[in-house]
Amino acid sequence: MLTTIERIVFVVLALTSVGFTIHGIKTIVDSVRKGRSAPEVKNIPASLVKAGIAVLFQRTIFRTRKILSTIHLGLFFGLITYAFVNLVDILEGFIPGFDLVYGGKHPAFPFLNSGIINTFNLIADVMSGALLFSVTVFLVRRFIVKDKQLTYRENILLNPKVKAGGQNKDSLIVGTFVILHVAARLMGQAFRLTDGADAFTPIASFLNGIFGASQTGVHVAWWVSLCWVLYILPYITRSKHTHFTVGPVNLGLAKQNPRGQLDPAVPAGVRATRTSPIPEPGAKFLHDLSWKRILDSYACVQCNRCQEVCPANFYGRPLSPSALEVNKRYLIKEATFGSHPERLLLPLTETVISAEAVWACTTCHACVSICPVGNEPMADIIDIRRRLIIDGAEIDSGVQNALQSLATNGNWMNKGKRLRGRWAKELEFPVKNASEEQVDYLWFVGDTASFDERVVPNTKIVARIFNEAGLDFGIMYQNESNAGNDVRRVGEEGLFEQLVEQNMGAFGKAQFKKIVTTDPHSFNTLKNEYPQFGGKFDVTHYTSVLVKLFDEGKLTVKNKLSNYQVTFHDPCYLGRYNGEFTAPRKLLEMVGVKFNEMPRNCETSFCCGAGGGQIWNGKVAPGERPAENRIKEALTTFDKNPSDKKLLFIVTCPKDMIMYSDAVKTTGKEGKIEVRDLIQLIAEAVGLEMPLEAEAVASAA
Amino acid sequence: MNIVVAIKHIPSIADDLPVKGNNVDFDSVDFVLNEFDEQSIEQAVLVKEATGGTVTVVGVDMIGELDGVLHLALAKGADKAVKITGDDPAADSHQQAKWLAEAIKGMSPNIVFAGVQASNDLDGQIGPMIAAHLDMPYIGGVSSVEVAGDTATVNKEFAGGFGAKYAVSLPMVVGVQASTKPPRYAPISKVRQVAQTATIEKVAPSGESSARLTMKKMAPPVVTGHAEMFTGSSKEVAAKIVDLLKSKGLA
Amino acid sequence: MSNDIFVITEHMDGKFSDVSFEMVGKAKELANAWGGQSVSIVVGSGISSDGFASDSTIQVDDETLNRFNPEAYGKVIEALVKEKSPRLVMFGWSATGMDLAAWLSARLGKPCVAYVKGINIEGGALIVNSQIYGGKMMADVSPEGDMAIVAVLAGSFPVEAGQGSTAATQIASPVLLDGLKIKFVEAIKPAAGDVDITAQTKLVSIGRGIGSKDNVELAEELAKKIGATVSSSRPVVDAGWLPRTRQVGKSGLKVKPKLYLMLGISGAPEHLEGMKGAELIIAINTDKKAPIFNVAHYGSTADLFEVAEAMLELL
Repeated sequence: MLTTIERIVFVVLALTSVGFTIHGIKTIVDSVRKGRSAPEVKNIPASLVKAGIAVLFQRTIFRTRKILSTIHLGLFFGLITYAFVNLVDILEGFIPGFDLVYGGKHPAFPFLNSGIINTFNLIADVMSGALLFSVTVFLVRRFIVKDKQLTYRENILLNPKVKAGGQNKDSLIVGTFVILHVAARLMGQAFRLTDGADAFTPIASFLNGIFGASQTGVHVAWWVSLCWVLYILPYITRSKHTHFTVGPVNLGLAKQNPRGQLDPAVPAGVRATRTSPIPEPGAKFLHDLSWKRILDSYACVQCNRCQEVCPANFYGRPLSPSALEVNKRYLIKEATFGSHPERLLLPLTETVISAEAVWACTTCHACVSICPVGNEPMADIIDIRRRLIIDGAEIDSGVQNALQSLATNGNWMNKGKRLRGRWAKELEFPVKNASEEQVDYLWFVGDTASFDERVVPNTKIVARIFNEAGLDFGIMYQNESNAGNDVRRVGEEGLFEQLVEQNMGAFGKAQFKKIVTTDPHSFNTLKNEYPQFGGKFDVTHYTSVLVKLFDEGKLTVKNKLSNYQVTFHDPCYLGRYNGEFTAPRKLLEMVGVKFNEMPRNCETSFCCGAGGGQIWNGKVAPGERPAENRIKEALTTFDKNPSDKKLLFIVTCPKDMIMYSDAVKTTGKEGKIEVRDLIQLIAEAVGLEMPLEAEAVASAA
Repeated sequence: MNIVVAIKHIPSIADDLPVKGNNVDFDSVDFVLNEFDEQSIEQAVLVKEATGGTVTVVGVDMIGELDGVLHLALAKGADKAVKITGDDPAADSHQQAKWLAEAIKGMSPNIVFAGVQASNDLDGQIGPMIAAHLDMPYIGGVSSVEVAGDTATVNKEFAGGFGAKYAVSLPMVVGVQASTKPPRYAPISKVRQVAQTATIEKVAPSGESSARLTMKKMAPPVVTGHAEMFTGSSKEVAAKIVDLLKSKGLA
Repeated sequence: MSNDIFVITEHMDGKFSDVSFEMVGKAKELANAWGGQSVSIVVGSGISSDGFASDSTIQVDDETLNRFNPEAYGKVIEALVKEKSPRLVMFGWSATGMDLAAWLSARLGKPCVAYVKGINIEGGALIVNSQIYGGKMMADVSPEGDMAIVAVLAGSFPVEAGQGSTAATQIASPVLLDGLKIKFVEAIKPAAGDVDITAQTKLVSIGRGIGSKDNVELAEELAKKIGATVSSSRPVVDAGWLPRTRQVGKSGLKVKPKLYLMLGISGAPEHLEGMKGAELIIAINTDKKAPIFNVAHYGSTADLFEVAEAMLELL
């Protein structure tokens, strides 16, 4: 179809384009390779295939925003189709007589029968429509509707170029490309229809009806269509649309370790140097992040699903996981394609995320769980914390107090070690000391449940229920230290290791078969992180133990609690992190309450705002707190399911008990809804008799 | 400049203190760094950061567990750590002050810091006693220290926000009430790193001194009165307090 | 060697502190029992020292002693004690006494007792009661030898017993006071502009239990509601959460308000020293064993934040 000169011109242009594209890809690969090592990804081909399938079915984006995700589907399949379409177009240009209209074929490709060609034409034609439609929707969403989901709040640190509209520019360029490219291609197809409409190209036939056929038109359209491709290929490597290709790859290389296990603070291969006698943990500069975290930034297209589920962002704090990713990419872009390599030597807290934002993260994992391309912005944040801590950066006075107390007392509440088991001595039966006698279940109680007067009454009920059910259990009294889950997530890796060692020493002295915890945070680290330190235990949460006790008939429901209407809050570290959604719900079913699920439940449960050390924070930021929002959510749920029953907000985490009891008060909902630990319902259902004196103590506390 | 910090390792009062005979049962209490010593270590490091020099932290090893405290001090910016192998959990302030003074003498200090007091200073604090042994001037209750040349300018606090500024020719002993800035946090990785690499100099105790007090009795205070306790939920407690205030015309 | 008892009195801006009178009263009682003399020692310059009830008052007067100087005061007191060999030397466990008592003990090789709450004579021997371990322990000790030094906590004895009209005898400094290494530079006045908590009738006082600087606001809100002012214990001031002018206690101010509402203060002896005289003490502290509950009139172990917030709603 093309003349010789046209061919030469196209080849030269194509080589130039490919050259710039390869340069772009190489720059990305080089930047990614400069990152620190990441935990080994096992069986890469298999996980890439798995990711490929997930991408093909667009499984990961459908976690939320169903309508927009459907439109994304059109874009996705449209672009895949167009990869083939462009290839075919080039062949058509270079191979004389290669003509696919009207099911035509070329003698050199005998396998191309008219059936295949007609199918191809039909798909290409329909997908052209789909592409035009979906891109138009997205452009309208961004530029006319100005969807807030696509913007960042004023207080969030943004690269100046992003602030100046860098992403809008990207979107506009790529959007225009798709529209003009597809339109040109469609026009080309229309001009080719010398014999009028082709049933397998309805849109092109429609256009042909208006514009007729034209050989010049075919040439012009061919050039316009493919020149756009030659321009856009290198452009993509320099824009957020690296997402097209890196997204699926990143998903394939995503974290394989349990969600609840953080990557090591000092990655393998990082050693001490003369200037830093301690191998530097975490990240201060971009290339202190592992290569995977750098790759994340190319996979991200700033759909902002993460920002939408982020409790810190909800709370008005200057944190947006997606802003973190885009800032990372722009930082590299300015250093590689731009002229500012020196900016890579600026701390991440100045270039990609503000220190205030770093300290606002609750480590709830919602951003990671929701991300369609397997990004882990939370891991960056924890790595930045790790380095800030070791560098002696100023930390919140409340957090410092907690850490200091944890270092000296093994608990964050400035309580003497020996007082840890005091609650147990106030019971009407002895609680075994697992450090001295053999037990089946070693109950790891945790700080809040041991010391906080608001939670201790529930701790005592758990003990009484275990006792009632004849469970052989014990606690470690003063030998137990804080498990360290939140210490690690605050970034104080050294203190975490110290606490692990203390607890491992205590476990070594104790004799037990299983560990049961009442605190999901302790549960998470004991289960997922202690194995990294040689502590491989069978760890369960008390809700699973209770289910077992009911199943075995050791506990029986004597009173059905049909006077309560309840909802249940999945604690991040039990639910999203460790997938335990069923045991608490099963218990609620057993005790016979009326149960309503909140809109955000299980995997999409909304964090109470206490995790990752936030509960230690001295600063209380203004605005509606996540826990307050959650209480309102619960009440709306009940409003939709009205009844005259007593409304309860059920929790299974000591921190939740504190956060939500507080939120009920601050939202003025006292008397409307009451926060209770699941164990309180169990006690009532099994008809646990509490000594009067104990009840008095409990209510006094 | 040689900056020395004399510290005390004392029974923790975060727990209940058990009594054995006429004294605290030292076997069943945890020992911690005197809280004022945290301030005095910080003040010493601040002075070092301002003027240069080395900070040496020295203490009597009461129960063989002083290393942890010394590692913490090193992680916070001290340069050298010395422990006097006392190994007597009941060593009184007089004895500790004498041992410390003997050890410090050889360090040719320009300035010595000590916590203004400790909760177990039954026979007085070590700071003024070290000063007496070394024949140096002492000022306690200090909340800021600046050193220029061989003169230290210190602020001493009196009650009620009153204070006085003194200029002292060095060497001297300072009893620290509070450091100019709140004590910094020492990341445990750093402490652990220090624990692996630092050497703690051991010094045998030298010199005799005694409080010359005969312990007759030690017991928790006899409670003469006890507050009337409000019980119930926080809301109920608040209501009772508000009622009480209103009934007395205080709210 | 005598059976005399020396009381090292304390003064600022010409005014003697309460503990000086407390000690003088106690010294009189002990001197009677021993058959010795109670002697008030005043070190200073140009102040009127005729208000003590002691058997005699010695005022060492020298321009150099105008302001407290631990070195100069120490030298003077050491010389006097050496000359007269009293049976007992009493200091206040205060900003000034704390600089001198242990120092003198080490200089002279005489026993010293700090944190003193009580002094008794049993069978001619001295039994000194000391409140140590942050108020968690009381120790009875008997000092050996012919001279003892004590440092007395303010509020241990009645003030009135020490008030009298003994005329002071002025003497010149028994030692040369030149070549001092410590020089007084200037007095530091409380930061101007802040409220005077000693003049307030109602105080909401916060301690370590308040947790962090930002929670101070809650206390301030509550105080505002009941027309009170916020004061605090030492750790809150040391952490920089409130100015020094708000500190109640030994190293802070002594207050006697009609209402002293305490949030998160455990009640270390140093703090009790500054607020014991309050008419109504209400303490909220989660530790049911906190010593403050032995002093407060009303108490609760409820969560202070919850109580404060609930009170705000009710008021």
